[in-house]
Amino acid sequence: MSGHDAMVSGNGRARKAALPWPLAVGGLLVGLHIVVALLTLVWTPYGVGDMAGGRLEAPSLAHWAGTDRLGRDLMTQIMIGSRIALLVGCGAVALGALIGVTIGILAAFATRTLDDVLAAALDILIAFPTLLLAMLIVASSDGASLGTAILAIGIAGSAIVARLTRILAKRVLAMDYITAARVAGTGWPGIARIHVLPNIWPTLIVNFALQFGLAVIAEASLSYLGLGAPPPNASWGRLLQEAQASVYTAPFGAIAPGIALVSLVIGLNLFADGLRDAADPTRRRSR
Amino acid sequence: MSGFNTHGRMKGSRGRALSATFAAVLAAGAFGQALAADIDPDATINVGSLYEPQNLDNTAGAGQGINEAFNGNVYESLFRLTDAGTVEPVLAKDTAVSEDGLTYTFTLQPGVTFHSGAPLTAADVKFSIERVTAEASKSSRKNSLASVAGIETPDDATVVVKLSSRSISLPYNLTYVWIVNDEATDLQSKEDGTGPYALQEWRRGSSLAIARFDGYWGEKPKNGEVVFQYFTEATALNNALLTGSVDVITSVQSPDSLAQFKDNPEFTVSEGQSTTKLLLAYNDRVTPFDNVTVRKALARAIDDEKLLKAVWGDYGTLIGSFVPPTDPWYVDLTKVDAYDPESAKQLLAEAGYPDGFTFTIDTPNYDPHPIAAQFIQSELAKIGVKVEINVITANEWYTKIYKAHDFQATLQEHVNHRDIVFYGNPDFYWGYNNPKVVELIKQAEASASEAEQAGKLKEANTIIAEDAASNWFYLYPQIVVSKNTIAGYPVNGLNSQFFAAGITKSE
Repeated sequence: MSGHDAMVSGNGRARKAALPWPLAVGGLLVGLHIVVALLTLVWTPYGVGDMAGGRLEAPSLAHWAGTDRLGRDLMTQIMIGSRIALLVGCGAVALGALIGVTIGILAAFATRTLDDVLAAALDILIAFPTLLLAMLIVASSDGASLGTAILAIGIAGSAIVARLTRILAKRVLAMDYITAARVAGTGWPGIARIHVLPNIWPTLIVNFALQFGLAVIAEASLSYLGLGAPPPNASWGRLLQEAQASVYTAPFGAIAPGIALVSLVIGLNLFADGLRDAADPTRRRSR
Repeated sequence: MSGFNTHGRMKGSRGRALSATFAAVLAAGAFGQALAADIDPDATINVGSLYEPQNLDNTAGAGQGINEAFNGNVYESLFRLTDAGTVEPVLAKDTAVSEDGLTYTFTLQPGVTFHSGAPLTAADVKFSIERVTAEASKSSRKNSLASVAGIETPDDATVVVKLSSRSISLPYNLTYVWIVNDEATDLQSKEDGTGPYALQEWRRGSSLAIARFDGYWGEKPKNGEVVFQYFTEATALNNALLTGSVDVITSVQSPDSLAQFKDNPEFTVSEGQSTTKLLLAYNDRVTPFDNVTVRKALARAIDDEKLLKAVWGDYGTLIGSFVPPTDPWYVDLTKVDAYDPESAKQLLAEAGYPDGFTFTIDTPNYDPHPIAAQFIQSELAKIGVKVEINVITANEWYTKIYKAHDFQATLQEHVNHRDIVFYGNPDFYWGYNNPKVVELIKQAEASASEAEQAGKLKEANTIIAEDAASNWFYLYPQIVVSKNTIAGYPVNGLNSQFFAAGITKSE
């Protein structure tokens, strides 16, 4: 086949076979963070509490990302930051999915009055700024921890998942085969399990990937405010906060965690984009 | 960074004592005259600050920001605390003390009027002192004035204060008592004081403007108006100075932001002494912190100098106890329990903890507490003591620690001048209770002379340090940065004051 032919036909067919590039690049970025996060479980360049470096040293061969005010290696902290970000992201998305899908499905099957109440409650929860909600949860608990961060971000994210699930599930419930199933005597838990969930799952997965990116940013924001995972958990948000005062004299301390944060979030968003394209080929051409 | 402030409850976030006073104003006066031709007598001085007051009443939990804006500017007291740490009379023209020290007779400065036009009378003074000691008052100076048994006003110019016990610090404590007009109704959003400036406009969340009061009894201010511009974030504050929207910032929060001003001839950087101390306060009531040997071990395990260097670079001062050099009872105690990890380990073993122990530090969520907590965590790990860091907000700190005493150890900055008295109060949040110290601090207050008082407090100070009652790290520097056209501002950090009357601005 000539190159010209390939290009003409490529739009329709060849790309369907290849991995969509957002999925590839996103997967690569996320994968890199996962590898680094796993690596920190067994090895880091320096110990977490190792304060042997100088104050705010510039990046060098010994300290690839420089050191912080206490003389600790920033690279070590950024690597551990990957682990914290992924951990909080996974936890928050899992919690958000559990709560959100449950409420969404219940609302879809509920009577009209209950459905209206739930829909209104979700709208209110969504209108409430995620960060403010998270701060409220942290403030009402005994102190900030990894657990409160996951709880706060997960609950905030669950409202969005619930609303999406409800809409998707209602769309499925309007189908004729649901009526058929009902006539055949299948109860609502059965309908949810056999017909609804398998149909809405692909869309939800895409949403979870997007939620993951938001959760990572939310965790960094909470830590930036000092309400995320407590030290010595090296969260990127806290690294950014600590670097803020010295941003003029030691800019790398802010740039390095910034790059880490941005690369993970962009990776997750690209990955979600790619997933959506893969799940729904009809949308690919319009993009 | 915020701190714990006795005369205003908690500060907002990222607080630090800003302060200052008159020695510097006088010193700068000479300089000002040399340039008199260039100075604009009606200039507006824009002061950048991080401490907006919650309201305008220092007996209603307004926070340290109100002291900065109003002490000596809008309100005056019978006495004032100068920038050098001494007490001098203001509205009290003469003071006579009875032989037994229980009766103080103050003669008021004549010809003083409030901003509303009413003349200052003895009744106003009585009203003002009773406002601070009242049941509903949130001023924590209330306790300092507990010995006031009664106030008499034999005539309009004379106030007689009767004490139930001697109180050598009465004039000092009166520096906190604003003299307000006894007919004033709303002191939370308006004012009626006798100071050189009257409140012009308070735009909540943004700025507070005070303008020269033409009926002022004393020397006229050297500028026409002072506007405190409030920021919530130190970087924004620095940028405001760089871009010229403020003329002076009252305290720089980190040494690293100074580089942009130090190398620039358009700005003046001055370093004064603050009274803000960073310390690890143990709950001395609970094990193992009720054990002096354990506390001494922890004091020796932490390299204060390295911590100071980490947070402040080349600024700041090491302290060996709670007392800063500007207090009259300062003793150099930095050698007591100096950094020595080897002997720290030995002491721990002696105290019965050869393998260390675990405890939690409740850490306020603003700088420098989290970084200091991590430093302590790694230092103590070296002697086998495991530290959990629990991050809390300023409000939680107030309820959990200050009110409920529900903690093992906490990091906190204490901003006040002459606050060693806290160690004489066994009910204070840290629960330090050494009867000898309690007695010494009580006796010191009943001293007949200031020398006797200083002697007693020096002794108490030394015992506190030997007991390692808390773990004191360092004294913050007080760094004021201004445009080079601005002079005459106070440079020290005593009790958050910022006397504005001497500030000049040249063209």
